[in-house]
Amino acid sequence: MKLFSQGISISLLGAAALAADVDSIAFFETKIRPLLADRCIECHGEKKQKGGLRLDSRAAWQKGGDSGSPIVPGDVDGSLLIKAVRYAEKELQMPPKKRLAAEEVAALEQWVKIGAPDPREGKLAVANAVDFEAGRKQWAFQPVGNPQPPTPAHDEWSRSEVDRFILERMREAGLRPSAPADRRTLVRRVTFDLTGLPPTSAEVDAFVRDPSPDAFAKVVDRLLASPHYGEHWARHWLDVARYSDTKGYVYAREEKAFVGAWPYRDWVVRAFNDDLPYDRFLLLQIAADQAEAAESPHLAAMGFLTLGRRFLGVTQDIIDDRIDVLMRGTQGLTVGCARCHDHKFDPISIRDYYALYGVFESCAERLVACAPKTADAAFEKELHARETTLREAMAREREAQSARVCAKVTEHLIAQLELEKYPEQTFTQIIGPDDINPVFVRRWQAFLAGAEKRRDPVFAEWHEAAKLPLDARRRVAERYGARFAAVEKKWRELLKAEPSAESLPDASDEAWRRVLFGPESPCEVPDEHLVNNEWFFPQPVVVGLWKLQGEVDRWLVQQPAARAHATILTDRAKPATPRVFKRGNPFTKGEEVPRRFLQVLAGDDAPPFAKGSGRLELAQAIIAPSNPLTARVMVNRVWAQHFGRGLVTTPSDFGRRADPPSHPELLDWLARAFMDEGWSLKKLHRRILLSAAYQQSSLGSADAAALRTAQERDPDNRLLWRANTHRLSFEEMRDSWLAASGELDLRVGGKPAELLAASNTRRTLYALVDRERMPAVMRTFDFANPDLSIPQRNDTIVPQQALFGMNHPFLAGRAKSVAGRLTGPDSERVGRLYSLLYQRAPTAAEMEMALAFVQTGPAPVVQFTQPRAWQYGYGEFDESAARVTGFAPLPHFTGTAWQGGDQWPDKTLGWAQITATGGHPGNDRRHAVVRRWTAPQDGVYSITSKLIHEPAVGDGIRAFISHSRRGLLRSATMHHSSTTLDVEAMTMSAGDTVDFIVDIRDGLNSDQFLWAPRVELATVTGAGGDAARFWDAEKDFAGPASASLDRWQQLAQVLMLANEFTFLD
Amino acid sequence: MNPHPISRRDFLRRSGVGFGMLGLADLLGSGAHAAPHFAPKAKRVIHFFLNGGPSHVDTFDPKPALEKYAGQPLPQTLLTERKTGAAFPSPFKFQRFGQSGIEVSELFAKTARHIDDIAVIRSMQAQVPNHEPSLMLMNCGDSIQTRPSLGSWLLYGLGSENRNLPGFVAMCPGGQPVKGAENWQSAFLPGAMQGTYVDSQHTAVDRLIENIRSPHATPESQRRQLDLLRRINLAHRSSRLDPRLDARIESFELAFRMQTEAADAFDISREPQHIRELYGSGVHGRQTLIARRLVERGVRIVQLWHGAGQPWDNHEKIEENHRKLSAELDQPVAALLTDLKSRGMLEDTLVIWGGEFGRTPTVEMSGSKSKLGRDHNHYGFSVWMAGGGVKGGTIHGRTDDFGFAAVENPVSVHDLHATILHLMGLDHERLTYRYSGRDFRLTDVEGNVVKEILA
Repeated sequence: MKLFSQGISISLLGAAALAADVDSIAFFETKIRPLLADRCIECHGEKKQKGGLRLDSRAAWQKGGDSGSPIVPGDVDGSLLIKAVRYAEKELQMPPKKRLAAEEVAALEQWVKIGAPDPREGKLAVANAVDFEAGRKQWAFQPVGNPQPPTPAHDEWSRSEVDRFILERMREAGLRPSAPADRRTLVRRVTFDLTGLPPTSAEVDAFVRDPSPDAFAKVVDRLLASPHYGEHWARHWLDVARYSDTKGYVYAREEKAFVGAWPYRDWVVRAFNDDLPYDRFLLLQIAADQAEAAESPHLAAMGFLTLGRRFLGVTQDIIDDRIDVLMRGTQGLTVGCARCHDHKFDPISIRDYYALYGVFESCAERLVACAPKTADAAFEKELHARETTLREAMAREREAQSARVCAKVTEHLIAQLELEKYPEQTFTQIIGPDDINPVFVRRWQAFLAGAEKRRDPVFAEWHEAAKLPLDARRRVAERYGARFAAVEKKWRELLKAEPSAESLPDASDEAWRRVLFGPESPCEVPDEHLVNNEWFFPQPVVVGLWKLQGEVDRWLVQQPAARAHATILTDRAKPATPRVFKRGNPFTKGEEVPRRFLQVLAGDDAPPFAKGSGRLELAQAIIAPSNPLTARVMVNRVWAQHFGRGLVTTPSDFGRRADPPSHPELLDWLARAFMDEGWSLKKLHRRILLSAAYQQSSLGSADAAALRTAQERDPDNRLLWRANTHRLSFEEMRDSWLAASGELDLRVGGKPAELLAASNTRRTLYALVDRERMPAVMRTFDFANPDLSIPQRNDTIVPQQALFGMNHPFLAGRAKSVAGRLTGPDSERVGRLYSLLYQRAPTAAEMEMALAFVQTGPAPVVQFTQPRAWQYGYGEFDESAARVTGFAPLPHFTGTAWQGGDQWPDKTLGWAQITATGGHPGNDRRHAVVRRWTAPQDGVYSITSKLIHEPAVGDGIRAFISHSRRGLLRSATMHHSSTTLDVEAMTMSAGDTVDFIVDIRDGLNSDQFLWAPRVELATVTGAGGDAARFWDAEKDFAGPASASLDRWQQLAQVLMLANEFTFLD
Repeated sequence: MNPHPISRRDFLRRSGVGFGMLGLADLLGSGAHAAPHFAPKAKRVIHFFLNGGPSHVDTFDPKPALEKYAGQPLPQTLLTERKTGAAFPSPFKFQRFGQSGIEVSELFAKTARHIDDIAVIRSMQAQVPNHEPSLMLMNCGDSIQTRPSLGSWLLYGLGSENRNLPGFVAMCPGGQPVKGAENWQSAFLPGAMQGTYVDSQHTAVDRLIENIRSPHATPESQRRQLDLLRRINLAHRSSRLDPRLDARIESFELAFRMQTEAADAFDISREPQHIRELYGSGVHGRQTLIARRLVERGVRIVQLWHGAGQPWDNHEKIEENHRKLSAELDQPVAALLTDLKSRGMLEDTLVIWGGEFGRTPTVEMSGSKSKLGRDHNHYGFSVWMAGGGVKGGTIHGRTDDFGFAAVENPVSVHDLHATILHLMGLDHERLTYRYSGRDFRLTDVEGNVVKEILA
């Protein structure tokens, strides 16, 4: 056998292999095998395959790696292996850490020379290609079946088909269902499940007292009709959609906020509330641009694809994120695993990945309105002005950039001879206007490759010259440059004479002209949104364009009157033909693949996508009723939220490594019914919630032995012999606290608000989700990480959560409000407290404990908070004294600003306002705003600050820095400008104050300003504690010190933190 | 019942839900179940992160050959973020230190007295010459994708030894570094494993740790509240099955204790005067001393960032700027090594020093004008480690004669991570977490332990 295969290898090697006799095998065994084993196999063997290459069998190296086979038997100089071990080229040196000894290199050379005889048998380097036929046998890829619900004997428990599936499995395991939950428990459970909110006491009572047989169905229908249903279920989908209001880290030039985030969030809410069929729901999120008219509110749906991280603008990572969210979100498939190689477990090939990659590579982003024009003429006018400025600048810069490239054809051709100097996107260089931009070098590279393929006569000489030495090729490049310059000159002269000219009269000239001009030209900057074409411009131009884009974005983000906008994808005129990136590396491009759907689902001979990018066809393939995954995945997601765990426990992974479904037939039955009933989610909820399984008690059997059996046989409760306890999510908990205190603002939709702003009493759904600055409390309570598609949240219990409840002013504030709702004698107060928080009456023991707590024990001690460095007030700047007179604190704190009252402007203090970063002076000179800083100890201090007055309208502001003993330190009069106001080393004593004062100039108009000074202690003089060294107005900005809670407030806080509040039975 | 108790990691992998169903000890990362793969050499890490990128040719990698080319182009200049010009010899003096005789520049002369405890890797390599991806690579093992940080992986693998303190602390005075909290993110690991950020410019404990002090209750009145809470919760617990109820009851007791313990750990006034003087009075002295107090109490990893933004990014006037920065850091680093040693803690504490990359040996240009600074350099730079399991007085790897690129024994960031995990008793190929259908590792599919620097 061995000899036989030896023979084959020799015949393959041809003449050079004639030397492959017994001696040569001995040579391999003594010199080469040990060398390969010691120095190569670690990275090119069974365990690792760097560069896709294995050297542990003959077949493996014959097949080769990313760069082909490293050994050309007989051709020493032509073998990459030899090049690498010779360490001659910087780019290719093996082994990378320590080069081989000279005699080892010589041995390898000798081996290759004699034909590389290699007796080693073994598997091929790369595992066999994906076996789609076998893959389709996996349950998840089988068509959704049409199972009939079983009919368990003596079934008095089942209320629906769902129950019959569940009871059957339970009986097989010798288990019994639990008793139904009591009505109060049940109505609390279902109200949270559908709306994320607690029921009111009245709602609980109504259900408890309703004798009708369909009492529970009525509750379910009422909740499904509530606008808060959509809010709650939207949030589940937003976890999957890795929703964020901001882009995450971007370079400073770019606006961080997404313009189209909240419209997407509100669209999802509305889709759930309207029971938009799920297939339509998905189609719109993938291809609303091709299914809806301009300005349609449904365009907002495309935020699903476009609201991912910006990944520093690197295209392949942005697309990877889109493939991931789409395929895990809708198909439960981890297609992202096939970015670098065929999926290791599931029937997904690297070709599948790049087939989808090509779809997104053929799309560009566009910012569009998804609501009709508003009636606010001022808003629309300014928007139009900003958009026009941007559009004109973009047109100008595109033209200027194209001209720069046209003028440097020679350089771009020479660059083709030294491509290694022009790295791909991930390697960022600061490009100046005179530099050769790698993006254009790559564009020329692709263009030239195309020209060669279609045998473009213009470049015949260039391609012919490929054989020549470098110097000669450079001279060819120069000749090309000269010819292009001449053609361009002719064209410009013709245009001058004949502005309507469309071509040059000479056919040859015209062919050359077309290379320089036109949408396919390698000199052209694509006419797309800046996110898609920023790489084409030099650094200063990019910064300038982002500034103008930022003006548009900020106008839309900040103006209350702004209409909703969306970032959509649109198909490019000419779709890209994707190429596989070997190992996911864009530098090593492999074979071309057509744009198409996953082979395992579409079939082996499915035609490629034919329309535009193929995105609409992709959407249609996903929502096709024949797709075995789409309905199953969504049904499982809904089930998981209602029962705490899915029938498939990994809702975004239905692959081979996922546990199979606990109730496969039930899953199919639900998926089938879901599709048959028009993909209605509300019907699906109803079907699940009206089951006896859902309505069970979470306590298990009252019989101790039965309970023990159940716990032993099925400790994870996968067979659903009881309901699972539900721990409130962060949103449910915060919303419930606000609901109990009577402060919850139930308005639906709109722009986000800072989570912890004291004025923010809206549902937590509307809290700003800022990828870069997630409030720590959100992550502490396992809020979904907005950088990643999250199928199911973590569920941790850590002391930081307890600390938030005990010490953060938010809960203390709600406890105060709850206590404020209590009236009457003490026992009535306790009763009301239990009703507000738990929708039940206290037991006698609970009443006694509560009364003992509030009626005895020491009175709460008033806390004295430390003196604050900063105060926020108003007064008049007395110019003769150069100090503020009549300083008084601003009385109201909104959570983000100090001002006159809850309304702004305030009746008495007008527009006076101080925020972390700036503020607004009061309406007249008597109401200057004053940010006051007090020195904590003797020392030498310095002040740095930048004051900005942005608006062009109005006449601006006056600003002063005044010291309590020295008087005026700095002043400025500002309008549509910015300035630096610094104070260098200045000695101060403890208790000295420095006031930062702003008042209006002559008139009140657009006087808002930005000014957040920073004070630094340079040297401590005299005695002083270990005080801070920096004070930063923005970072130190704070609300009022909170006072101690009284005993009733303390009691309310305790009950709001108790497990009964946090866990639902 | 399953006779083979499954490991915590297997459990997490299987449940897919996370910590919800786990026992209390696991929830709080007590370390009771999280265990190393083999006997660790180091139990804790203090990582000085010189954000912005310190120049290796001005600190731990002397290059006298630059003198010869001073003011002239080098034979080969590699592509970096910006244009650089002529060779720029180090303006700082180098000197041999210790028995090993390793050369260190005057910028870290105090640290250099410990050189025989230090292994200098002079052949580090990152992937691109840009801050953001390099910060992500150095902290999270991937330039672009959202991946857990080294500290989060350590907490996942080992837990923390103190339930009353966060297990992973990232200190930075005056604000956050570039990329902010992404540098200590837990990504798909539970939120409890992310680094706790501490703005070390503050001294008051309530400015250092969120919610650590109640603004509305004294400890006595809070104790009274928690006693009531406990009674109510125990009554509620009696008829129910969910073990999370116990965990949450206990979490309040831990939180209560954390308030005093954290205040104590961050209060350096409890240190004797000679120790405070050893570290120095600046903010870096203070945060380094706090770091020692934290690891002493069982915190697993403390990262000490130099400052907000990227202070070491000296494209201009590197002589002046590097001198100022090293003056802030040299004494605290040296003090930490002295202090750990005298307490017998250096042998199982790993101290790491480095940035996200190094700097070019050539001078950065603005047009044709020299800026007297250096550009980013990912082709070769230095990182050093000392303490637990590290072979002191070692140089590993070499850059070329000018310090532009690693040419001998190059060490990738994955290799560095593999080595750190190894010293902590973890096999980087076995420390995995299932997310999105894949078993993720800190080192992705790369990484070799740098055995040459192991003691």
